[in-house]
Amino acid sequence: MANLLVVEDEANQRLLYQEELSKEGYRVRVAENAKEALKKIDEESPDLVILDIRMPEMDGLEALGRILGKDNTIPVIVYTAYSGYKDHFMSWSADAYLIKSANLTELKNKVREILKKKRRSLK
Amino acid sequence: MEKVLAMVLAGGKGERLYPLTTDRTKPAVPFGGIYRIIDFTLSNCLNSRIRRIYLLTQYKSFSLQRHIRQGWSIFDRELGEFVDLLPAQQRLHDLWYEGTADAVYQNLYTLQQEKPEDTLILSGDHIYKMNYQKMLFFHREKEADLTIATLNVPIDEASRFGVMEKDEAGRVTGFEEKPEHPKALPEDPTFSLASMGVYIFKTDQLVRWLTRDAKRNTEHDFGKNIIPETIKDIRVFAFSFQDENKKKKPYWRDIGTIDAYWEANMDLVNVDPQLNLYDESWPIHTYQGQYPPAKTVFFQAERTGLVLDSIICGACIISGGKVQHSILSPRVRVNSYSEVIDSVLLEGVNVGRDARIRRAIVDKDVDIPSGMEIGYNLEEDRKRFTVTESGIVVVPKGMKWR
Repeated sequence: MANLLVVEDEANQRLLYQEELSKEGYRVRVAENAKEALKKIDEESPDLVILDIRMPEMDGLEALGRILGKDNTIPVIVYTAYSGYKDHFMSWSADAYLIKSANLTELKNKVREILKKKRRSLK
Repeated sequence: MEKVLAMVLAGGKGERLYPLTTDRTKPAVPFGGIYRIIDFTLSNCLNSRIRRIYLLTQYKSFSLQRHIRQGWSIFDRELGEFVDLLPAQQRLHDLWYEGTADAVYQNLYTLQQEKPEDTLILSGDHIYKMNYQKMLFFHREKEADLTIATLNVPIDEASRFGVMEKDEAGRVTGFEEKPEHPKALPEDPTFSLASMGVYIFKTDQLVRWLTRDAKRNTEHDFGKNIIPETIKDIRVFAFSFQDENKKKKPYWRDIGTIDAYWEANMDLVNVDPQLNLYDESWPIHTYQGQYPPAKTVFFQAERTGLVLDSIICGACIISGGKVQHSILSPRVRVNSYSEVIDSVLLEGVNVGRDARIRRAIVDKDVDIPSGMEIGYNLEEDRKRFTVTESGIVVVPKGMKWR
């Protein structure tokens, strides 16, 4: 069972993603800020990270760099309400950049696609 | 022109230049009396009107930092010009720069702030004169994603370089980093097309390849890991080095070894050196202290201050000794009855009475005792100093006998 880490400061959204992605058959851990996320990655390396950008203390772009600094093979999906960060070079390190939506189909599809690609590359 | 940003890789350890690199990184190694190796690349930028420059530093960077602060605070920040140092800030990971590509990748935030249209990647290790603006013009004319400056090198030396192939339009069709069997030029089997490690990238392509490389377990090196991949995918062109030194043979030196260092210095004291430091249309800028002029004293039978075929910098006093075919950096004192031949003496060296020095490099602030001989008995010299294969003796910085 693939294990995902969702990094999201907004509690309701965090809960929503956890429920929806668990239904897809993933084991989902959550972190409410970047520092907690980095700690959880040290505890157990996730198969994929879903990362918000606008968060207090450390933003998602810096967190992205630090996650890849720990392990550059962890795929990361940037999941944000803002399209503007697409122009930020740091976001180009992400495997995907998705705009938040009430409908999580796009996110679920992308998670499936990236995990499949990762499995293939490991074989 | 403000749409281009230069990033100079200035972290070279210069291990084969030891002991000159005991306390300094390779770009900070003194050269030609008053210069440091980095001055040539920075002067190229200055003379090419590229005045937004970051120096990426790491190992032993203090000497370099001081030199840049003292000598290169000449740009006008109000006009958007600068030379700034970028030490490894550990912003993306807790390691130092791991390779040339990683050094630039770790500074993505800086690239993001500047957002140049094109990024010029340079090395601070080499001595040559080049107008990067001509290369930039070529890069834009070809609508290239990446342009690599190239040099024709003898095929038996080509294994030290990235060796390339190009088609008639100048597009790069092959790239091998340090190949065992380098490919020859189609028009001349004795030469190969070598990369000078000078790149102009469209910045968005640069970032695309850097972020891709960062996710792979490679050596994060432009020559080894990035360039060979790019040629299959984007528009990569070769730009032939146009030497602003204006001599018959193009001048480009990677002063990688002590022997090469000594030879490149000795070239400068020839009647007609290969490297022309006297061309007013291509000045080499550096830091120079406010020193009094050089002088010679004593003109007696055995005790004559004599200088022949040499470069003598400010505040040197040749006091009753003889200097021949040598380079003396500032503040060198050569005392009575002593002799300095075929040597490079760096700043603040004192040569005691009756001392004899031949084919040697004496680093800063060394006090050579009276009567000492260096370069005459290599067996003896090997016990005290570094001696190269060709017999050049290096006396390390600050060595004292008293």
